Amino acid sequence: MWPLALSKPGEKVVVRDIIGGMGIRRRLESMGLYPGEEVEVVLANGGPIILNVKGCRLGIGHGMAYKIMVSNNGEKGRK
Amino acid sequence: MGDGKDIIALAGNPNSGKTTVFNALTGARQKVGNWPGVTVERKEGKAKLGDTEVTVVDLPGIYSLTANSIDERIARDFLLKEKPSLVAVVLDASNLERNLYLSLQLMELGVSRLVLICNMMDQARTKGLEIDTEGLSQALGVPIVPTVANKGIGIERLKEVLTAELARKEDPPPCPLRYGESVEEAIKELEENLKVHKNLSQRYPLRWLALKLLEGDQEYLAQLEMKEGNPSRGEIRAVLTTLRDKLESEIRYDLETALVERRYGYLKGLVSKFARKKWDWAERLSISDKIDRVITNRFLGLPIFLLLMWITFKLTFSVGGPIADLIDGLFGYLGGHAAALIASAHGPAWLVSLISDGIIGGVGSVLVFFPNIFILFLAIAVLEDSGYMARGAFVMDRIMHAMGLHGKSFIPMVLGFGCNIPGIMATRTMENEKDRILTILVNPLMSCSARLPVYILIAGALFAHHQGAIIFSIYMLGVVLAIVLARVFKSLFFKGEPAPLVMELPPYRLPTWKGVFLLAWQRSSIFVKKAGTIIFAAVVLVWFLAHFPTGAGYASQQSLIGRLGTILAPIMKPAGFGFWQAAVALFFGVLAKEVVVGTLGTLYHTGEEKLGAAIAQHFTPLAGYAFMVMTLIYIPCIASIGIIKRETNSWKWTAFAVGYSLVLGWLLAVLVYQGGRLLGLG
Repeated sequence: MWPLALSKPGEKVVVRDIIGGMGIRRRLESMGLYPGEEVEVVLANGGPIILNVKGCRLGIGHGMAYKIMVSNNGEKGRK
Repeated sequence: MGDGKDIIALAGNPNSGKTTVFNALTGARQKVGNWPGVTVERKEGKAKLGDTEVTVVDLPGIYSLTANSIDERIARDFLLKEKPSLVAVVLDASNLERNLYLSLQLMELGVSRLVLICNMMDQARTKGLEIDTEGLSQALGVPIVPTVANKGIGIERLKEVLTAELARKEDPPPCPLRYGESVEEAIKELEENLKVHKNLSQRYPLRWLALKLLEGDQEYLAQLEMKEGNPSRGEIRAVLTTLRDKLESEIRYDLETALVERRYGYLKGLVSKFARKKWDWAERLSISDKIDRVITNRFLGLPIFLLLMWITFKLTFSVGGPIADLIDGLFGYLGGHAAALIASAHGPAWLVSLISDGIIGGVGSVLVFFPNIFILFLAIAVLEDSGYMARGAFVMDRIMHAMGLHGKSFIPMVLGFGCNIPGIMATRTMENEKDRILTILVNPLMSCSARLPVYILIAGALFAHHQGAIIFSIYMLGVVLAIVLARVFKSLFFKGEPAPLVMELPPYRLPTWKGVFLLAWQRSSIFVKKAGTIIFAAVVLVWFLAHFPTGAGYASQQSLIGRLGTILAPIMKPAGFGFWQAAVALFFGVLAKEVVVGTLGTLYHTGEEKLGAAIAQHFTPLAGYAFMVMTLIYIPCIASIGIIKRETNSWKWTAFAVGYSLVLGWLLAVLVYQGGRLLGLG
């Protein structure tokens, strides 16, 4: 598991955990980002991370990108 | 179904084309933006369904019924409390899975009449998606209408379906989503326990309540325990804890995530069944990604942003200026002719004075700036419509953070250059109340277009060769002050971390001329309306005060306004413009900042062209600069004060915004003048 901020462009990762209160978790959930969901890292070049989540582009600010824990598709984690 | 009493609420994700559907239904002209959450105001329109008329309310774009931002709270409260007769959800056909999440929540909430509008079907088709709306409709038990709202396709069918749904008497089928045996059992048990809680069970369906409690939604739990004397106040929490523990040990991770996953899993199944992919779109979609690679780049992002801002202001002045001169010439011509006409008809002298000095000199000298303002709004509309604004929030995020602000503060700030009112209203998309109030407080320091006429007048008269640079320096002063004050206010009143920045980035698109012009016109026409109403009234008032008492001489120091100005003038003396005309202009400028120019126009009874000469006579360049600094900072205009009160919902913050700006404006104007004199610039 590693923070999303350290992911590389083009990588497909699975969200494992979102560190934060109920508010932010709910918000990300409603935008399609929740533990267990596979997402594609579209852009990660030191600026914001841009993700492909269910076909939509989500921009994740720098601070937030360190609070979203992801892993490879292979590592099944808690599931 | 009542006559015109039925209310249809239009809900949907940001960028689903909700506003376009609204326009197609009601024929109302209003904004279609590309920036998530652009529909900040509650917009209403009338739609004709056969013979009856219904009210359609366009809700802010939301992702779910959980209230995070004010936008979401507005939408959710409207749906839950005002109970519209029908809820229509607009879906982006290309992204059904994410878009259906909100619909699913509405179904679980037991909304009695629900219609789904599968919009932008043409785009879905070009992306290789074939959507069986009929099949999807049957699976969900809710009517679905495919549309291409911007081309008017499917709108007639939508109206028929809406009419039929409004007339339907029987209850809708229950939401088909089931969570699996053990969760369903838990829901049943909770429902039994919740029956006694009359205050909640009458407002929400029991199943919805049970689900929210299992998810650990604090809001409902708090509501449940609020009521004193509930037969089982502590009991329900105990039951809940037992159930949650049992379920979590069974599924081996947290229940909330499990429920979310089940919902999306269900939607995923539906979408793969009813929206078949004929080919893969990925390659072509990445055009937008390629642009983003440059625009949001760590090193290029900021220079690109600054370049765009520079182009915006360059256009505002270099294209707007010549047109403004033309209009000014026209007003001068009109004024001369009107005065001559009245005089030749033996009209009274005061009427000649009111028309030429008051109205032409006052309102005219303000209206002259309409081209500049229109072009400024046009450029902002292009940035919004193209999808750049959302990226700008990310580009500016780190800088905004360093300032103690939030990435999302960026849009209100940029809009503030146009007008602080939409700027302050745009803060509604911010989730964190502290971030929001802080952004509102410093927003008036973004020099709005109403202050531009003052700068153009003063800088044009006193700094003819460096007009652009001087005006730019005033704008920059506003930005720097906003940065400094944001930091100060943050450390004094709003300690704590700003909310994390997560935003949807809609694909870039070429702005449409129609959309951009419409938006720029809607915003800048407020300026024309202001010129016709508040500025007109202020100018006539100023003229009246300048004209009386009779015998005092028009706009002389003995006139009423001269006496008022003479009282106020000494306060401004340390700033270098301690003469009564300037004091009066600032005094009335609180009504609207353009009035500063209008008042000077009336008092020196000339049009804009000659007003410059009058200014050059009275102000030294240094005093003129101090006057511009004062105009930039001192007291937000009346309309802004009103909006600050409404948006902060606090007289304390409103008074603070007025107070700090007045003190700061005076201090800095004095500092500029006295400092400049010490440096030998006076």
